[in-house]
Amino acid sequence: MQQGNTLEKLPLSDDKQRAAIDAARRSLGGIVLGKDAEISLSLACLFARGHLLIEDLPGLGKTILAQSLARVLGLSFQRVQFTSDLLPADIVGVSVFHQGSGQFQFQKGPIFAELVLADEVNRATPKAQSALLEAMEERQVSVDGTTHELPSPYFVVATQNPSDQIGTFPLPESQLDRFLMRLELGYPNEDSERALLIGADRRQLLTEIEPSLNPDILRELQKAAARVHMTDPLVDYIQALVRFTRESPEIEIGLSPRGSLALVAAARAHAFIENHSGVFPDDVQAVFVAVAGHRLKAASNSAFRTQAELSRHVLDSVRIP
Amino acid sequence: MSKRTGTDGSLLTSLPWTLAALTFAVVPHLQFLPFWATGTFIVCAGWRWQVERKRWRLPPAWIRILLALTCFVGVLLSYESVSGVGPGSALLAVMAALKLLETRQRRDQFVLLFISIFLIMSSLLREQYMWSLPFLIAGVLFTMTAWLHMSVSRQASIGGSFKSAARLVAYAAPLMIAMWIFFPRIATPFWAVPIDSGSATSGLSDRMSPGDISSLSLSNAVAFRVNFDGTPPPPHQRYWRGLVLYNYNGRTWTGGGPSIDPLARSEVEYAGEPVSYQVTMEPTRQHWVFALDVPSEWSLDRTFMASQQQLARMQPLDQRTTYSAVSYTDFRLGRQLSSFRRISYTRLPETGNERSKAFARELRAKAGSDEVFINQVLQKFNREEFYYTLEPPALGESPVDSFLFETRRGFCEHYASAFAVLMRAAGIPSRVVLGYQGGEINPLGQYMIVRQADAHAWNEVWLPGRGWYRVDPTAAVAPERIDAGRSGAMFDGIGADWGLSAPSEFLYQLTLTWDALNAKWNEWILAYGPDNQSRFMEWLGMQDPDWQKMMLTLVVILAILIGLISALLIMRYRPPPKDHAARLYSKFTAAAGVDPGMGETPLTYSKRLGEERATLRESAQHITDLYLQARYGPPGVIGIPALQTAVDEFSRNR
Repeated sequence: MQQGNTLEKLPLSDDKQRAAIDAARRSLGGIVLGKDAEISLSLACLFARGHLLIEDLPGLGKTILAQSLARVLGLSFQRVQFTSDLLPADIVGVSVFHQGSGQFQFQKGPIFAELVLADEVNRATPKAQSALLEAMEERQVSVDGTTHELPSPYFVVATQNPSDQIGTFPLPESQLDRFLMRLELGYPNEDSERALLIGADRRQLLTEIEPSLNPDILRELQKAAARVHMTDPLVDYIQALVRFTRESPEIEIGLSPRGSLALVAAARAHAFIENHSGVFPDDVQAVFVAVAGHRLKAASNSAFRTQAELSRHVLDSVRIP
Repeated sequence: MSKRTGTDGSLLTSLPWTLAALTFAVVPHLQFLPFWATGTFIVCAGWRWQVERKRWRLPPAWIRILLALTCFVGVLLSYESVSGVGPGSALLAVMAALKLLETRQRRDQFVLLFISIFLIMSSLLREQYMWSLPFLIAGVLFTMTAWLHMSVSRQASIGGSFKSAARLVAYAAPLMIAMWIFFPRIATPFWAVPIDSGSATSGLSDRMSPGDISSLSLSNAVAFRVNFDGTPPPPHQRYWRGLVLYNYNGRTWTGGGPSIDPLARSEVEYAGEPVSYQVTMEPTRQHWVFALDVPSEWSLDRTFMASQQQLARMQPLDQRTTYSAVSYTDFRLGRQLSSFRRISYTRLPETGNERSKAFARELRAKAGSDEVFINQVLQKFNREEFYYTLEPPALGESPVDSFLFETRRGFCEHYASAFAVLMRAAGIPSRVVLGYQGGEINPLGQYMIVRQADAHAWNEVWLPGRGWYRVDPTAAVAPERIDAGRSGAMFDGIGADWGLSAPSEFLYQLTLTWDALNAKWNEWILAYGPDNQSRFMEWLGMQDPDWQKMMLTLVVILAILIGLISALLIMRYRPPPKDHAARLYSKFTAAAGVDPGMGETPLTYSKRLGEERATLRESAQHITDLYLQARYGPPGVIGIPALQTAVDEFSRNR
């Protein structure tokens, strides 16, 4: 957050929008303690009309984050627990024969909520996974030849547990590409954990907070976020980053054009949230690990063990023009 | 200094130039300002400068209000008015000085510079000399430079601002010239500059009291300049008739007001060759119009001939006026004199000057004829111990007696007065003519300069059959005064005063050159009125120039000029290099002494810098913000200049 200078006054969005964003961040920060950066990223992902993959160990607040997002943003919420016996129909919905009318009627599945939490998405079969991913991509579902529009805004938060190896179907790179961002929450720091321990029950808190946004405002914010000014030097920077991922010997698979588009959209949304007058290099860097990490594949002889480390390496190796 | 309440010193670089520009604008007013106003200006300027330098506080509002009221009352007391050029410019100057005391920001300096421009212009209301134009240009340049210097970064040199200002003035010059040439002049201006009442008038007084003032100061000021169409008349014919005095009360001669006499011209019998010429007369604020004795035609509007063949104008001559006239130096005047008039031209007070009267009657009786008598009186002046001096002793109760029989020292007025009294005592009608005699030819401009020092008084006497004719008793005493003019005599003392051996001739030449230039200036620039304009338009080929045509021409020319200048500007325009902000930023990181890491964003860098060098935290944040806005923000919100200023300041303080 910038403070104490005249630049804050530059109106990017009207005061009401700004106030709503700030209120949403405050409310989220009050529930998910010590994760301001991740909250900003989640909001940026949402404002960029992307979907979010949270990859971390259980118990780190993935579900709480998703639930509080839904609550604070005023979105309808559905949770789908992915298991190995989950069928596509369980996600999308089924046509049921209606006795009274003598016709089949479509029963909408949980995917028709505005915010869908797909919990432990790697535990379901690829068939169930692809039902979700297709819906995410198309923003519509086709059942029995009928197309059903998904709501707008539409935001899928999927979680997966990276340490579960037995009986899981990890999402392949091509599928991961569908998520705009992948986040790792990580352990809270000391202070946050202490506050968590002595504070009220999170689930209780969740029911008490008031929504700061609503779907209408959210759509407006999404439009505004896409309009944030981006100068030539910044495009140069993004291109330099992308070129590096493609040329570096450390990286086997670099960023695709979809990846660089994702980077631009996410950086714009981040700049919008931070109330920057344009997209700054800091915005690009802030979203880079989340946006690029899961799209990069390290070379087999690479010294970097995780994708996050690899992403950092990219950032540290490219001079900001 | 935890809490600083004084000024922040932010005007330290621009204020001196603002002060200088303001001072420049005030200088031409100084000689007219009351001393306290000058003092106020100097004190306020010095005070404000110290305030900025020492970070003092500016005076509180009540002191400023008190000062403003005091100065207002001061102007009222000094001028007994607040309108008019004098009090107006005095008020402007002192209020500008007081404005300095509440000048906190750039905006206030703008106001001061506006006032400077106004002061510069208002000095033109007083006089428009030839040096007014260079002064005007210099003043505008100076003000513009100060103006621009205020807006650029602190480190920028004044030379750069001056260059920009000069360029702006150069761009404006063709527009100015076009407007000056083509903007339609009208005969009667929309406004009139109020004349200061009570300010000194130059020119002739309309009364004459020889003996009251015991010395005559020779003013070198130009009374009028004359261009002769042919050869100028010889010096002894250069009598410029002004006004005529004919009532004498024993001390003072007075004349009639400027009233028209339709018969005056018919009383003149013109003879010989006409002399035609143009006179450019400096303003006198009087009604009298000077012409070579005696005029037959003149081109000035609302001007007529009064009873004694003197020219007068209905309105006083408030501004420099040019007219042409035709005179005949050979003439006969008023062959007939009615008995009524004869009485009035021979009237003397019952008492006073008894000795002179007796002397005149005695001499007339001995002489036998009027002509002989007149010659004898002139011979008396010539042969006896009469001296021409500009510093005669004061005269007593009967000034003519004292002069003729005791002091015998005087200048033209004394002789003219004494002569007229003697004539009247002998029953010969006589009167005193005031005007100018002589004038020097300026070989550089082929024209004649007549100065205030050429003011002269002579007599006219009436003899039956001959009419009025001119007698100049001063010529009998000091013929060189009449024949030679004054030539270089007036410069005789100067060289000695300055300790120079022979500069008088050089100075004399210099003065003549200067005057020739001034005359051209008056002729071509200041006299560019409706007549000259339409003549010039015709010369340019415009048929029947009228204001619509001139306006149209002006608009077309302006459009073309603006188009040309715009084209020039567009051609010269070089967009600032795209990475200008980046260059400034690397200047900043270099000055900070900490290199940004590879891939380190400005914000991260600024944070790191703040941690490593706590003193730099604020400025680093500020510069980083400006840089991000300038480089990555939408264009035009915060430009390069602000960043430049901040970086310059940062690197200077390092």
